[in-house]
Amino acid sequence: MSEVSKFEPKIVAYVCNWCTYLGADLAGTTRLEYPANVRIVRLPCTGRIDFNLLVKALEIGADAVLVSGCHPGDCHYTAGNYHARRRWMLFRELLDTLGFDLRRIHFTWISAAEGRKWQEEITRITEETRKLGPYRELYQKNGFRRPPAPLPSAKPPAPAKSDMAAQEQQLRETCTRLLTDRTVQVVIGYGAGGPVFIRRAEDAGKLVWNMDCQANLTTYLKRKEIQRLGKAAVVVKGCDERGLVILEKESQIDRQTLRVVGMACEGMGQPKCDTCEVHQPRFADEIIGETADVAPGFSPAPATLKGGATATQPLDTLMQMSPAERMSFWAQEFERCVKCYACRQVCPLCYCERCIADKNRPVAIDTSATPKGNFAWHITRAFHLAGRCVGCGECTRACPAGIPLELLNLTMARAAEKHFAYRAGMDPQAEPLIGSYALTDKEDFIR
Amino acid sequence: MPDIYTPDLMEVVGVQRHTADVKSVRTRFQSPERARQFDFRVGQFGMFSVFGYGESTFNICSSSNWKDSLEFCFRKVGRVTEALWRVEEGDTLGFRGPYGNGYPMDKWEGKNLIFLGGGIAMPPIRCAVWYTLENREKYGNITIVYGARTVSDLVYVHELEEWAKRDRVRVIQCVDPGGQTPEWKGEVGFVPTVFERAQVAAENSVVLVIGPPIMIKNTLPILEKLGIGADSVYTSLENRMKCGVGKCGRCNAGPVYVCKEGPVFTMEQLQKLPQDY
Amino acid sequence: MSEILTKAGLRELAKEWIAQGKVVAGPVQVKPGLVLYAALASADDMVWEGFVRPANSAKELVFPRHELLCRYRTEGNRVELTNGGAEVPAQILLGVRPCDAAALPILDHVFNWDYRDDSYNRRREATTVVTLACASYDESCFCTSVGLGPQAERGSDVMLFDLGEEVEVRCLTDKGRALFAGKTQTSQRTAPPAKGPEPRFSPQRIKQFVDEHFTSPLWQDDTLACLGCGACAYNCPTCHCFDIVDEGNGQHGERVRNWDSCQFAQFTLHASGHNPRPDQGSRQRQRVLHKFSIYPEKFGEILCTGCGNCTRNCPEGQGMLTLLRGIEHAL
Repeated sequence: MSEVSKFEPKIVAYVCNWCTYLGADLAGTTRLEYPANVRIVRLPCTGRIDFNLLVKALEIGADAVLVSGCHPGDCHYTAGNYHARRRWMLFRELLDTLGFDLRRIHFTWISAAEGRKWQEEITRITEETRKLGPYRELYQKNGFRRPPAPLPSAKPPAPAKSDMAAQEQQLRETCTRLLTDRTVQVVIGYGAGGPVFIRRAEDAGKLVWNMDCQANLTTYLKRKEIQRLGKAAVVVKGCDERGLVILEKESQIDRQTLRVVGMACEGMGQPKCDTCEVHQPRFADEIIGETADVAPGFSPAPATLKGGATATQPLDTLMQMSPAERMSFWAQEFERCVKCYACRQVCPLCYCERCIADKNRPVAIDTSATPKGNFAWHITRAFHLAGRCVGCGECTRACPAGIPLELLNLTMARAAEKHFAYRAGMDPQAEPLIGSYALTDKEDFIR
Repeated sequence: MPDIYTPDLMEVVGVQRHTADVKSVRTRFQSPERARQFDFRVGQFGMFSVFGYGESTFNICSSSNWKDSLEFCFRKVGRVTEALWRVEEGDTLGFRGPYGNGYPMDKWEGKNLIFLGGGIAMPPIRCAVWYTLENREKYGNITIVYGARTVSDLVYVHELEEWAKRDRVRVIQCVDPGGQTPEWKGEVGFVPTVFERAQVAAENSVVLVIGPPIMIKNTLPILEKLGIGADSVYTSLENRMKCGVGKCGRCNAGPVYVCKEGPVFTMEQLQKLPQDY
Repeated sequence: MSEILTKAGLRELAKEWIAQGKVVAGPVQVKPGLVLYAALASADDMVWEGFVRPANSAKELVFPRHELLCRYRTEGNRVELTNGGAEVPAQILLGVRPCDAAALPILDHVFNWDYRDDSYNRRREATTVVTLACASYDESCFCTSVGLGPQAERGSDVMLFDLGEEVEVRCLTDKGRALFAGKTQTSQRTAPPAKGPEPRFSPQRIKQFVDEHFTSPLWQDDTLACLGCGACAYNCPTCHCFDIVDEGNGQHGERVRNWDSCQFAQFTLHASGHNPRPDQGSRQRQRVLHKFSIYPEKFGEILCTGCGNCTRNCPEGQGMLTLLRGIEHAL
């Protein structure tokens, strides 16, 4: 017979102890036969299932993965499955962008009484996976040759014409004042060759404000070398300021002692600038300059660039490819990743004292710059930023290998907006996305 | 041809748990050929590994005169040592070595030897003690002052008692104040204090002091007072290592690579090094 | 009298080498404005113009970012070990800059310091270095400050000089001649000497500073902008620090070597929790010490070729040059 009929798919099922595991048990005790292709991994609750476990199962050879737990409302720990559901809603989108074959990733609610449903689901999944064949495309280039031209990216418009020199002057005066009257001990700002840390009022002249002020300086607030210097003032553009909203919500900064100096900005010539809605800082203690290009608040439609292209065009182009082509795209992009972690160090929201990538008990993410190690890292980073990334674009700017990391973060931002009307860093009162859940969270992908 | 990163396979021939988190492991080469041609100097170290968990640096704490096994002793603190904690007789480990400079046992001949150690620093002293006992006539008086935080933190206790019975050997065990039990017959106090109290004769002496930085810092002035020069006081440094052969760039203390030019240094050498270890 | 080859001819040669199963690595335009060295799938991917130098280094071919050391397989308490050392095909670095080529003989020292690193040596042996001399430089370049220059020959088997439609070919070694013998035409045209940037600092003074001012507050004050990533080290032609880890499980897996950077916070972290270099200032000092003091003392060479990749790749525009000029300024 043919290769296909001899193929026995390997299915890994992560199930919760209180519902699905007992449901599977019930299937057994009531003699309902189901294919032996499934390997069951029991966890206390679906809320405990780390998103990486799904990927790991596929990495070690599973052809399909099932995640199953208690029905909403029945969770043994009250809300574990609600948290899980929200996580899966977003994680699926990330996996989709990366080109994972979503037909091989299943989610179900199966209660302790639903032995028959377990039988039916496992049988269905096994047969479907048998038809799909072994999952060989994971992390592979799958024979697709990279398109010779890079993906279309937005053309940056001409530099803005506002009076940056006047703002620069006012910035220096503000800095002098803040240091002289000891409101702060250090001003974190832009200098000629990069970020500067002004500690003496007479050095205020080192601050600049020009079209080279690309960096997001709020990332320095997490650095203990900076925290040691004392109370700080930080110069932010509106895009940088969005990150402060999240940092405050996550108790990483003390808004009372941190002095925020906001610069009105009409754009730094980057693609993100054309669709920016925070040209005017909103929460700063000192606002320098004013721009008419103010559009705070929330717009559900993707903003349009001059010329008709939308800000999300590169992502749209990517999503028009097939999953295998997308996987090939990322495999070729991640081939250049050397694990320098510039993306992590430059991100203001990557502030863990010991990153999970640096932990070895257990090793959650291979440190090696291999396909597996690189996918694992970028999946983890993108998902740890889901609902938190404010789209400052620093990770992409910092990447020495030119990997379009913003596409991953944009996936999560789009998913957050589509499913939850949520935009990170816009509303200081908004509940964090991943830490919360709603009874109305959609579950059209869950059987 | 084996390269410098491929380990030898070792069979575990004995394990001993000394305390709640300290264990020693005795190993021997699986290949008799390799066992025959292998030699090392006391004070050298090796990279011992548990396959799947990684390599770690340990002093070879058995005497170089013992041809049947290599022993190392460790505290369970991280990934590799946790895996080593579970290792039993019959298991297979990896070994790369011997690396480092070792103790200048020939320079120490004819001298009185003073060994000062704290806690988990006993193993690198142990190998030197056994070596000198096995070449007893070459060395003078031997004084060993060894202490730990509490009685249950002392390691190689049986051997300490054995050494105390040997010719011209004086062994003083101590525990930190508060670490003694009602049955404790040894001294109470930190190693530097206990050593000072012991009023050890210091002429023609060489000192090997190994322990936490604070212990070494407090011991040095006492040695100075006794007139023991910094070029006669030795220690064995620890720094994080990976390759053990001077290439991975990790273990240097200022200009000196601890894996290649150390780990054994005199105080005189250490004093010239910047605070980079 | 010189030897020249048309650029089209050079591309044809590269095609031949690829067809022969050799690995040919050269500059490739990965995206607009980003040129990186990469193994060429096709000789058409190579670019020779429009950039000062690729943003990464060519060291990958002799010192890969990830390398198998050995494989293990356990059964019960028995372990079977297989050596990692695979055969290395002939490889050609085509179109590297002098600052990349010079790095290789510099690295030879440490990889053969008493213990010989077979894998590195095998790859070195298998590599022919065809260098494309520089016709321009940018504000990050400082090769002339470390004894090199836009046409420096150190480490190269062949030097190519851009003459417009053609390149001048100067074979320096037998390896180079083996590649180009009989493929070039004689000509009267020859490349003029090129001038590099003015020296930006004195390596001797840098060494003096790091040796004599180990505890200077400059190390903390001048490194506040450093975020502690590995972008500088990983794109540096001479940085070679590495990590050894086991990847796999208790039954089977690999012991591998990966690039590492002294800028990472955990680089020197002891299991006890003690870290000799607990802040970015001490870590940056280590970088300067290693490159300008330790390596010269041990091997007589500066561990830096002035390529400027550190500054170009640094997300905050720092890099060695910023720190070194700060030191000069302080002296």
